[in-house]
Amino acid sequence: MSLVSLVAEKIADDVRNVVNTPRELAVEARYAVGAYRRGELSALQLGRTAGATAFAVLVVALLLFPIYWIAMSAISGTGGSVYAAGGFSFFPENPSVQPFVWVLGDLIVPPLAISLNVPFTELALVFNTPEIAFLDASDHGVDNPSNFKQYFVNSVIVSVPTLILAMCVIVPAAYALSRREFIMRRKVLFGYVLFTQVGGGLGIASLIALYAMFVQVGLNNNRLALAAYYAATAVPFNTWLLKTYMDGIPVSYEEAALVDGAPPWRVVTEIILPLSAAGLATVTIFTFLTGWMEFVVAQTMLSADKFTLPVGLFALIDEYSIPWARFSAFALTFASPVMLVYLFAQRYIEGGLSFSGMEG
Amino acid sequence: MSTTSRIADRAAAFPAIEREDVSLLLVLPGLFLFAAFMFFPMLYLLGISFTNARPSNLFAGGGFLTFGEATFVGLQNYAAVLSDGKFWNSLGTTWLFVATSLVLKIGLGLGVALVVTNQRVRGARFLRSLLIVPMGLPAIFTITIWRGIFSSAQFGLANQLLNWLGAGTVAWLNERWAAFFAYNVTEMWLAYPFMVIITVSALQDVPKELHEAAMVDGAGYFARFLHVTLPSVKRPVLFASILTAAASFQQFLIPYAFNEGGPARLNELIIVYGYREAFQFSQYGQGAAIMLVAVAFIGAFMWLNVKKGRLADGVDEA
Repeated sequence: MSLVSLVAEKIADDVRNVVNTPRELAVEARYAVGAYRRGELSALQLGRTAGATAFAVLVVALLLFPIYWIAMSAISGTGGSVYAAGGFSFFPENPSVQPFVWVLGDLIVPPLAISLNVPFTELALVFNTPEIAFLDASDHGVDNPSNFKQYFVNSVIVSVPTLILAMCVIVPAAYALSRREFIMRRKVLFGYVLFTQVGGGLGIASLIALYAMFVQVGLNNNRLALAAYYAATAVPFNTWLLKTYMDGIPVSYEEAALVDGAPPWRVVTEIILPLSAAGLATVTIFTFLTGWMEFVVAQTMLSADKFTLPVGLFALIDEYSIPWARFSAFALTFASPVMLVYLFAQRYIEGGLSFSGMEG
Repeated sequence: MSTTSRIADRAAAFPAIEREDVSLLLVLPGLFLFAAFMFFPMLYLLGISFTNARPSNLFAGGGFLTFGEATFVGLQNYAAVLSDGKFWNSLGTTWLFVATSLVLKIGLGLGVALVVTNQRVRGARFLRSLLIVPMGLPAIFTITIWRGIFSSAQFGLANQLLNWLGAGTVAWLNERWAAFFAYNVTEMWLAYPFMVIITVSALQDVPKELHEAAMVDGAGYFARFLHVTLPSVKRPVLFASILTAAASFQQFLIPYAFNEGGPARLNELIIVYGYREAFQFSQYGQGAAIMLVAVAFIGAFMWLNVKKGRLADGVDEA
């Protein structure tokens, strides 16, 4: 599939960039030192460049320090609870994967007995599949693993319907807004952008009424109803995003297809949709993450057995008995895939658009 | 003349159902979904704010979108809210938070952007892409981590830093202004990638010739910053400020996750105040009234954004 190869290409690009940047810097530094030795560059200039670069690196390092701190806490074997005294050091003293094992718990495919009746005989073939243990928590001294898997399943149950419902309404709307002229078009666009930019708190503001409505129809604590809500909140930003993406597809392609006698629906399926594959992928990621990352509404609506991952994470911090290392590991296991996927999708958002929607 | 062409003529004579307008049907499902979960609750919220709704009477009797056994009390909730000291404290704290966090966000964003766009810095592109990494982190993750940093115990990173500097420890989340400071720092960290992106792209649009001309005229670094850089980035930074101030005003997660707007309800930003009034003290009617006051302010931000922001440009380009 072309989309997969496109994604793979982008990732390879990123990896190459990450590896090459320090190497290129080293080459440049060596060249600059050489130039200085040959007397082409004054010591002052060299020093200023080195100083400015070092300062910038220091600033970036300071800003990203909380992430480093949480990563180090997660692999420290000795980290006490949040409320216990413990010193800080740049590297953990007894690094251990135990906190992550605690998060994941057992990853075991139980043995299955499959029997096949051979037709016309009384024979049956019985297969016993072996137990496949990817990870056995008790091997690592973890007796009582976290609820991560349960929360994960809940999150999937919420996010997948969100994604499906949202895509069903977003794709046609984005196409119409990008390619057709109709009454209310500008008003709808205007409203969507306005909501995306400044309306972040309106959802919480109307939460009282939303909760009352859900209770009245008995749908509070229902993950599918929550998914419908998330799909609704995902509509403005993602419709706008996909619309801008489709704007970039040259109209002449469509005209060529129309001249060749293609009906409008074929123009959509064979030109617009394939050409906006990357935009569709981005929107897919963002709508999926809407449900995956939302906290306030989920916490208000759901009870403990239906908690999604963000609510589960927040529930952990109030349990004083949870060691900080385990909490960090839980938080990282939740957040790091999200971060990678998000940053990847974010690159597709053009400069102008990043202005209109990415404010937390 | 055949029937079909006559119908087509009739349709053409009817401006409201032009052929192209049929495309509106493609937009309507999304619009309807959005309205069902956003505008509809907002209207219902308005209704609730005029009743003495509590969970006990609102859900009695059943029925969808009815007010159960809650009774209509007119503007009583609004009067109660507006004469409550807690409300004014909350509103004042919210605006103070908007002001302080905005100053911090602009300062940090501008400072960091200046550092990573400096011509002498090597590998600036790489550093910039590292800088925006926090943008991809889920807000609840970032906020719980910062809560750990501001943990009142010695183990908290902020207290370890103070210890290392020789100062004592602070019970960050149990003291009003310490907690307020913690909110500000966290909000600053949450918003800095956005501010840096905007400021960096504005800085890159400043023509080099301007700087060179100023240098020829003998302007030093600070003179150039004041007279060349600042005037050129003023407008984009202003647009970004409107958006980020609106986000600060609507901040819910930080106070809620840190200490539920405590200590003693002193730091409840307005949305947190309305939320707790409704869900923890069961005053749905008053909670709704508070939320509607907040919505009025959000509406003001929207108006400001339409008037001063880049919103119209975005739609016009489209």
